Amino acid sequence: MMFSSDGFLTDQPPSKGPSQTHLFTSFPNSAVDLNDDDDDDDLLLDNKSNITQSYAYKPANEENLSLPLPATNKNNTNNEQLHIWQLEYYQKYFQIDTQQVLERLLGSITPKPNRSYFNSTIRHNPDLYGPFWVCVTFIITVAISGNIVAYFQLPDTDFQIDFSKITLSAILICLYWWSMPTVVYFFFRYYIKCNEYTFLELLCIYGYSLTIFIPVSILWMIPIAWLQWLLTIIASVISGSVLIVAFWPSVDSDRKSFNALSMLVVLFAHLFMAICIMMVFFHVSDNNINSKIETTMLSTMASSTTTTSKV
Amino acid sequence: MATTIEDDETPFLSSSSQPMGMFTGDISGTGNQSNKNELSTLNEPVLDTIKRDLGAVLRKFGYAVIPRESSTLLQQWDLWGPLILVTILAILLQSSSTKASSGVEFAQVFTLMLMGSIAVTVNSQLLGGKISFFQSVCVLGYCLLPLLLAAIINNTLLYISSKSAIPVFHIIRFLIVMAAFGWAMYASTRFLGQTQQPSRRLLVLYPIFLFYFLIAWLIILHAHPK
Repeated sequence: MMFSSDGFLTDQPPSKGPSQTHLFTSFPNSAVDLNDDDDDDDLLLDNKSNITQSYAYKPANEENLSLPLPATNKNNTNNEQLHIWQLEYYQKYFQIDTQQVLERLLGSITPKPNRSYFNSTIRHNPDLYGPFWVCVTFIITVAISGNIVAYFQLPDTDFQIDFSKITLSAILICLYWWSMPTVVYFFFRYYIKCNEYTFLELLCIYGYSLTIFIPVSILWMIPIAWLQWLLTIIASVISGSVLIVAFWPSVDSDRKSFNALSMLVVLFAHLFMAICIMMVFFHVSDNNINSKIETTMLSTMASSTTTTSKV
Repeated sequence: MATTIEDDETPFLSSSSQPMGMFTGDISGTGNQSNKNELSTLNEPVLDTIKRDLGAVLRKFGYAVIPRESSTLLQQWDLWGPLILVTILAILLQSSSTKASSGVEFAQVFTLMLMGSIAVTVNSQLLGGKISFFQSVCVLGYCLLPLLLAAIINNTLLYISSKSAIPVFHIIRFLIVMAAFGWAMYASTRFLGQTQQPSRRLLVLYPIFLFYFLIAWLIILHAHPK
């Protein structure tokens, strides 16, 4: 059995010309044939046990591999220093599986006052996948929902897709996601003077705490003012309490009133962010809604009267 | 180490024509074949070259629309299909009457496509998958065909419904675009889902879902120009 030139397995030797004029054959880090299936379980065990070791193949599996691996392979990373411009340097922040991501998402929606999910799930393996994609999803849902709200507010011919909403929501949300952990990190480091949390763990927990806002941002489209405020308050209380439950054990020591104050600051920052997003993208005052409803009713009545008059 | 050098070269060059992790047969013939053919395509008539490449592009469209076998699209990637599809989609999504801002909207669709492909590739590589940037651009671009057909139907429906105000057209448009989104998602799952180990497959597929979702919403929210 041989491979013919257009990639199909065939018995005849390849006789015709190539299927495509140029076959790009030098992939640096691409779909190289490796027998991955044996390695999968071993890699999972490696991930959970040792986070400082980057994506490592066990030496015993090298006999299973049919090809010598390319030079940029992770096998070499144990020997040489990884630099920040290499992709493999960042792979250690992405050692995570689907199941773990789902657990962390669930843990950040349901705050339990006794058990901090932070200590049980994130502490030993902080990742950047979850927070990053939660923030991106939040940005996208806010931008799309904001556009839909504008679509229903303006008459059909005036509406245009507003791409600036994507950039605006991206700036607001990414700024919040990076600035709050920075503030908390410096607060812990220089004020309380104990390096309880690494910056990565703070990024992780702040990113996951934004999960509750994704369904809320879809519900924010409903143009009832008191419902929007209620959703804002509920969502920021839930995600704020997740944060507080995570931070509480390390702040609990001596100055009780000061600790309570700092927790309240965290909660209020969260609430402020939620209010900002709601006001900028979604808030409808009652005048807009009434005028839109009137115009649609008038237009449908006009069209129906014209059609009936023609008949 | 010196004796393994020539073993290194031939398998690496021809490894791209093997599907992932399935066969380890004798493929050195293919490598030599392509080397010989690199020289001979200079002498053939231009029409032959065009017909062959056009055939390859159309065949890949066929694989993307009805996902059957998964090796050709990844190994013999090319960027003609994505270029054609994204250009037509960008033209269809223009809705501004002034020349300046319609040019901006055209560029926005291209930028979205580029950023989406970069995000999907980097995400897949960080999670340990083995795919290069151009392969993922190829797959994402070719699997865009159902959404392009939905955009064409969408524009036709908008043109028809601007004469008469029937609200059911909005629902029909929404359903058609959502069906095309599901179809595109299924097709690209078949191709890109295999490049990753199974415990992380959903993590890799999620950005692709977001990418097609964003394009689907752009098509739905597209309003007809005056």
